[in-house]
Amino acid sequence: MNKSVDFSQPQRQSLPGILVMFANSLQKTVRALWPMLLIWLVKFDTLNKLVFFGSVAGVVVLIGVISYLQYLFFTFHIDEENGEFVIQKGVLNKTRITIQLHKIQQVNINQSLIQRLVGVHKLEIDTAGSDKKEASISAISHELATILKERLINHSQLETIENTENIREEVIPTSLIKIGLPSLIKIGFTSNYIKSFALIFLFFTTILENLQQLNSEVIDEDKVTNYLDTLPIITSFLVIVGFFIGLVLVVNLVRTILKYFDFTIQKSKQAIILSYGLLSTKNTLLNPNKVQKIKITQNYFQKKLDVITIGIHQASSDVEKVKEKDQIEVPGCNENERDAILKLLLGQLPQKGTMYLPNWRKLAVNTFFFLLVPIAISLFLNHKTEFVTWTEWFIYAAFFCVFAGVMLWFSFKNYKLFVSEDFIIKQNGAWDIDTTIIEPYKIQAIETQQLFWQKATNIGSVTLSTAGGTVSFTTGNYTEIKQLVNYWLYEVETWEKNWM
Amino acid sequence: MNVFTNNPIDITQLPKFEEVQLKGLNPKYITVLLFNFSLLLTLVIVGFSALFYFKRDAFSNAIWIAILVGVVLFLVGLVVFTKFSFHKKGYAFREHDAIYKSGLISETTTIIPFNRVQHVALHQGFISRKLGLASVELFTAGGSSSDLEIPGLLLADAQLIKNLVSQKINPPRKDKLNEVVSTETLLTEEHE
Repeated sequence: MNKSVDFSQPQRQSLPGILVMFANSLQKTVRALWPMLLIWLVKFDTLNKLVFFGSVAGVVVLIGVISYLQYLFFTFHIDEENGEFVIQKGVLNKTRITIQLHKIQQVNINQSLIQRLVGVHKLEIDTAGSDKKEASISAISHELATILKERLINHSQLETIENTENIREEVIPTSLIKIGLPSLIKIGFTSNYIKSFALIFLFFTTILENLQQLNSEVIDEDKVTNYLDTLPIITSFLVIVGFFIGLVLVVNLVRTILKYFDFTIQKSKQAIILSYGLLSTKNTLLNPNKVQKIKITQNYFQKKLDVITIGIHQASSDVEKVKEKDQIEVPGCNENERDAILKLLLGQLPQKGTMYLPNWRKLAVNTFFFLLVPIAISLFLNHKTEFVTWTEWFIYAAFFCVFAGVMLWFSFKNYKLFVSEDFIIKQNGAWDIDTTIIEPYKIQAIETQQLFWQKATNIGSVTLSTAGGTVSFTTGNYTEIKQLVNYWLYEVETWEKNWM
Repeated sequence: MNVFTNNPIDITQLPKFEEVQLKGLNPKYITVLLFNFSLLLTLVIVGFSALFYFKRDAFSNAIWIAILVGVVLFLVGLVVFTKFSFHKKGYAFREHDAIYKSGLISETTTIIPFNRVQHVALHQGFISRKLGLASVELFTAGGSSSDLEIPGLLLADAQLIKNLVSQKINPPRKDKLNEVVSTETLLTEEHE
C-alpha cells in the first residue's frame, strides 16, 4: 500500500469533514441560543411561521457556509526543509501553527460519535512543550491519518538515518493482541471495587440530596423501611449488602466494557498502537523507548481466571501533572499475552534474578501502626463514650484484628525485590499484588534513607526515580542496599543506552 | 585500537558511594538557616510579649513562667538542632555523579549521575547574597522528587560547580575546548 501521498503540498481535510464542522458549529450555536429557542417554542402558536422557519433556515445556511469556509482555509503540510509540520487555518483571523517534527512525542487518532457516523477520524499531535501548542486535525480519513502518523513519528525518530527512502517496508500494522469480551467481563468482575463503590456512593448521596430538596414522594422511605422491618435482621442486612455488591459489580462491568471494548494492540514499524473504546474509539501510539515503568497487577481471583492488568507508565512531558495518556492500562490479558506485551516493550522477558527480602521489623512496625494503634484509639474512645458495649467492642476488635493481621502478613510476605543485570522488579501488595518492572538504565536519581535508630540494626531504604514514577524498597539490609546502589550507579554511568 | 576486554564485574570491587569523603557546607550557611527560623520565632515572641503587656491576667504567673521557659528551650533546641543538622549536610562530586547527604533524624543520600542531568540552575536568596553564598540545583527528568539542591556554597564555588556540571552534560567539542576554558565567566543563569 505504497500510496504515496505528497504531504509537502498543503492538504485539505477530507470532504465529509465539513459535516463534522457543521455539527460542531451547530451544537455551539444551539448551546448559545437555547434560551431564545425555548421562548420561541413556547410561543410557537403566536409566531409568524414564515419568520421563524426563515430565520432557522438562515442560521443553518450561515453555519453551513462558515463550515465550508473553515474547511476551505484549513490546510496542513510537512515542511521538509525546516523539518516542521504546519497547520494553517482561520477564515478571518488567520492562524499558522508550526510544530518541529523532532519535538513530536505522540500522534493520536481518535473518533467521536459524529466522526464515527461520518466516517472520519481526528488526529491529535502531542509535543514535548506546553499543552497550548498541541495541534489537531478534526476530520481526516483513516487511511490518510495512518500514513501521516507514520510520517510524523518516523521523522521525529529516524532523522539521522539517511536511507529512510529505502526502508519502505510493509506499513500495514500487524495485529498482535486482541482482548475479547470474556476477558473484559472477568476483569470487570474482579477489580476496581473501591473505585466503583466510591462512584456509587457519590451518585447515591447526590440523588438523596436532590430528592430531599424536591421533597418528592417518588420513593416512599417508610415503605422501604417497613418492608425491611418485616424481614429478620440478618436477612435485611444480607439484602442490602447483596444489593450493593451487585450494583458495584454491574457498574464495574459496564465501566470496563465501555472504556476498553475491542482493545487491540498492533505493532507497526516503529511504534505500538493501542485502540479501544465502545462509544468513542481511542487510538494511542506507544513508543517502547518512552516506557519507563511497567506495573502488572493481579489478585487471587484474577489468578484463578487467568487475567492480568498491565499499567504502562511513559515519560511524561510534564511530571507535575501526569497526563492520563501517559499512563496506559491494558486490561485483562492472559499469561501468554502478558509475556508478548513485555517482550514487545522490553525486548525480552524480565528475569527475576537475586531476591531481596525486607527485615522482620517491617512487619512489626506496620503491625504497630495499622493494628495496635487503631485498637488502642478505639479502646480509648469507647472507654470515654461507651459508644458500644464491651462485648460488642470485643467482637468488632477481634474481627478487625484477624482481617488486619491477615492483610499485614500477606503484604509483608509479598514484599520482595528482584535484581538482575537488566531489570529491577519489585513485588508488593496484600490482595492486589503489584509487580513493578524498571530497567536500570532508566533510573534518573537514587536516594538512600536511614533513620537514626535503624543504624544499630543496619536497616535502610532506597528510592529509585525514573521519568515515569518512583520505585522504593524499605526496611531492607542496608549493606545490601548500598551494594545495589553502587551496582546500579555503575550501570547507569557506563551504559551508552539512551533512557528515552 | 585498544585491546578489547570484557572481564566479569566484581560487585564488591565497584566504587562505593558511601565511602566518598563528603565536603561540608560553608559555615556561614548556619546564619541563613537560623535566619529562616528566627522569622517564625520573632513572630511567636512578639505575640506573647504583646499579650503579656496588654493582658497580663490572661494566664497565671506560673503559666507565664512556663511559657517563657518553653520558648527559651525551644530556641536553644532549635539552635542545637540546626548546628547538628548542618554538620550532617555534605556534598561530593565524583567523575560521573553528584552526591548530597543530609538529615539528622533520617539520613538521606541523593545521587544523580551526570548523564541524567537535564539542566543546572544557580539560586541566590536575599540573605545568601548578603553573605556571598549561593546554591546549585541539578534537575533530572524524574520530577521534583529527584532534583538535587546543594545549598550553602560560596558563590565562586557554586559557579565553578555549575560550569563543571554544564560541561559534563554537554561535553564541548575538542577544538572548542580551549576556547571554553579560557572564557572566565560562562553564562550563568541566576535566580533569586
